[in-house]
Amino acid sequence: MVEINPRTLDDVPATSYSDHATTAIKTGTWKYVQPVYEDKLPACSHRCPAGNDISRFLYLTAKGDLLEAARWIRRGNPLPATLGRVCPHPCEDECNRGPLGGAIAIHMMERFLGDQGAAEELLPERAPATGKRVAVVGAGPAGIAAAYNLALRGHEVEVLDDKPEPGGFLRTGIPQYRLPREVLDREIALVERCGVRFVPDTRVGRDVSLDELRERFDAVLVAIGFHGSRPLGVPGEDHEHVYNGVRLLERILAGERPELPPRMAVVGGGNTAMDVARSLRRIGVEPVVVYRRSRMEMPAIPTEVDEALAEGIEMVFLTAPKRVVIEGGRITGLECVKMRLGEPDESGRRRPVPVEGSEHVVPVSGIVTAIGETAELDMLPEPLRDGWRVAHDARFATPLEGVFTAGDVATGEGTVTAAVGTGRRAAAVIDAFLRGEALPEEAPRVQVLWGRQVRLDTVVHVEQLNLAYHKEAPRPGIEELDPAVRVRDFSEVVRSFTAERAIEEARRCLECGTCNECLNCLWFCPDVAIHKRSGFGFDIDEEHCKGCGICVEECPRDALTLVEVER
Amino acid sequence: MRKVIKGNGAVAHGVRLARAQVISAYPITPQTSIIEELASMVAEGELDARFIKVESEHSAMAGCIAASSAGARAFTATSAQGLALMHELIHWAAGARLPIVLANVNRAMAPGWSIWTDQNDSLSQRDTGWMQVYCESSQEVVDSVIQAFKVSERVLLPTIVVLDAFFLSHTYEDVEIPEQELVDGFLPPLELPQKLDLEHPAALGNLVFPDRYMEFRRKMELAQQHALGVWEEVGREWGELTGRPYGLLEEYRTDGAELVLVCAATAASTARVVVDRMRDAGIPVGLVRLRVFRPFPADAFRAVLGGRRKVLVLDRNCSFGHHGIFHQEIKSALFELPAAEQPEIRGVIAGLGGRDITPEDIEDMLTRAWEGRLEEATTWWDVLPAEDPVRAASVRS
Repeated sequence: MVEINPRTLDDVPATSYSDHATTAIKTGTWKYVQPVYEDKLPACSHRCPAGNDISRFLYLTAKGDLLEAARWIRRGNPLPATLGRVCPHPCEDECNRGPLGGAIAIHMMERFLGDQGAAEELLPERAPATGKRVAVVGAGPAGIAAAYNLALRGHEVEVLDDKPEPGGFLRTGIPQYRLPREVLDREIALVERCGVRFVPDTRVGRDVSLDELRERFDAVLVAIGFHGSRPLGVPGEDHEHVYNGVRLLERILAGERPELPPRMAVVGGGNTAMDVARSLRRIGVEPVVVYRRSRMEMPAIPTEVDEALAEGIEMVFLTAPKRVVIEGGRITGLECVKMRLGEPDESGRRRPVPVEGSEHVVPVSGIVTAIGETAELDMLPEPLRDGWRVAHDARFATPLEGVFTAGDVATGEGTVTAAVGTGRRAAAVIDAFLRGEALPEEAPRVQVLWGRQVRLDTVVHVEQLNLAYHKEAPRPGIEELDPAVRVRDFSEVVRSFTAERAIEEARRCLECGTCNECLNCLWFCPDVAIHKRSGFGFDIDEEHCKGCGICVEECPRDALTLVEVER
Repeated sequence: MRKVIKGNGAVAHGVRLARAQVISAYPITPQTSIIEELASMVAEGELDARFIKVESEHSAMAGCIAASSAGARAFTATSAQGLALMHELIHWAAGARLPIVLANVNRAMAPGWSIWTDQNDSLSQRDTGWMQVYCESSQEVVDSVIQAFKVSERVLLPTIVVLDAFFLSHTYEDVEIPEQELVDGFLPPLELPQKLDLEHPAALGNLVFPDRYMEFRRKMELAQQHALGVWEEVGREWGELTGRPYGLLEEYRTDGAELVLVCAATAASTARVVVDRMRDAGIPVGLVRLRVFRPFPADAFRAVLGGRRKVLVLDRNCSFGHHGIFHQEIKSALFELPAAEQPEIRGVIAGLGGRDITPEDIEDMLTRAWEGRLEEATTWWDVLPAEDPVRAASVRS
């Protein structure tokens, strides 16, 4: 610093300046509001039943750090490769990128990242052993998710299942063309490597009692899913060529090729109906889907319906079965009645009403029922049975001390993703229980389990974004095997993204509510009060930030919040 | 090269020849075609400059201040409401001693909404520390823009080059456009003594306590006074290069004139015709055209007007509450003359909001001045009479 002490005007500079930095002026004292870095909940994650931290794994992917992204997605979710293939991805309905070129293909990204990495690279850190033991009943998605999370928290976990191999409905109910078995096997093997022990061919209530499990283990989780099938309730359905869809699918998927009639009616409009019809098509049977409402009301994932139609599967809508037509001991058709849609029922869908005199026969020689699955609770003790579900409170705790529940048998949401989510949440409660901590009033939200600071009470929708920074960019196409080729066998229909495509797609992500170090805040700060940390993120120089809020305004993704300064 | 161009085009050519490096501007009628032409020159590669599109005139000037602080030759153009919106930063630019050049197309201030010419917009910036030059022709516009950069960069004060809306901005005339080589020889690249430097960070325009503030203002005033000589010197030098010399003001047929009309801008062209006509009729009238208004050439006015019988000042502006602005200033300059040399001085306010000032108007006002029939110190010309002054002054009848 030069001491300026001019004697004449000649020595006075033309204008005021200081060769000191402006830091001498503590502009921070002016502020009554100040910015804070505060990640918020992106609309996609808000809707994810499994609680995936989507913006974060896309951020890591966009950076090209595929392994770290793959590790991140496996924090708490053991089945990303599976979910990416089978989830109806409600996240994409909410994606703020939607109006700017189409939603991010989040399911394709989850699938891609789920397929990345070798087992040893992906093994997460386990908490120190607690010495506590948990029995999980049911090796489906809920049970696997709970077991994985409990094992990572240091507990010893055994998963009992009455099937010879773990996976539950993923193995018995989802065809290989949607979920190749090597994908499922790889994910289950990873869970095993985390210390989870799978015990096959063991049915609770037959091979072991629940009481016995309660004695041998510190906690028990009941996650047995829906495996029962509803009857059609029409005359003739006890004929040998009227099949239970869930059972028939299980046999076909296990590799059996039973002698089946050449043309079969598949009754129902859900995913099981689609899976049965498409699987039948692949083993040379001609299916015809019979559904009592219209296409719009079908509970099946819309893309599954599209794919089925592309495979040439016939569907008749607004048609309900009335009687199996049997002539000479053989089925010759399914007598149906036409329906029309009446007033909405309790599900919000319009109730089908029979049209009088519209009886007709759909010519088929076999019938498969796929009108919804239910729980089979007979082998559980009385206090656990509550209608179609296992009795439980908001913490997934059943009336029996130390017994918890998760998955379809608890909530009946009917998707693999929801099952994974409830498994994670129940695991968090069981962990607290095993550690002797006070149980929360409610199981934590699935997004709470991320392990990064996110403000969960604020969901970032498109209005919160600074759209000046987001240009339109089109969603990439998703490649499928040609329908004529794919119906020949059970090869996977949808092709994975290449790494290049995945990184490109991740870069389309707006990173709603999620700081991705774009540096806008730093460049815009008029007081140079924002400094990049050596690690992730920024520090705000409180002495000089004068609370102008420009950084908050210019943040493209609402990852900064202006808060009042307390004085 | 001779070309038939508009006054606005003349501004653009002047800026191009001066090799402005940053143009930061916002469009406003009647200025728009200036920056359109400049934008096109930048786009076509005829001018190697950054053209910054901004969302307001305030930002336009902020852009110029930033560019100039970093040592770049900066230019902007505006009119009326745009110039008024810049006002805060107009002060800043001068106080920061930045040699920015601004072309202002004189347009009347609203309301009532007007796009036509008068001088109240530029004269409202009188006390900001900027220099001001009023141009009569497109030729003078080209020449003055180039000179303005030179003078500004010598004295470290910004300049407003002023031209009349439509009468000059949008009329075509024959203009000699100087060669680039000539201008390059006249106007060297900008080298500021003090500018932003990433290697040596400094804070500009920081807080100054009462024990120093006045010194900075005194230096600004000294720079303005110094600039009078610089404008004369630069105008002479330009004359030597081009055959078109410029001074602080311009005299026309003042020899032997007992009544001198003072006016500025395009009205002076009209006045020349009238002066010729009246001289031929034997009336001893002359014309002084005000060119450089800030710094105010008080000595030059005293020299040319001292000892005349009468002076009539034609203002296309008004300082509401006290005369036209040129009238005020000239009167105050002449007050320093010995009593015997002080002429009788009258003012006329005419042509506000773009109303025509015709040769007949000027002849009529000169005749009345000569015959002593301008009773008031200031006469509003060609305006409806007020029967009951109180009622006439009220908002509504």
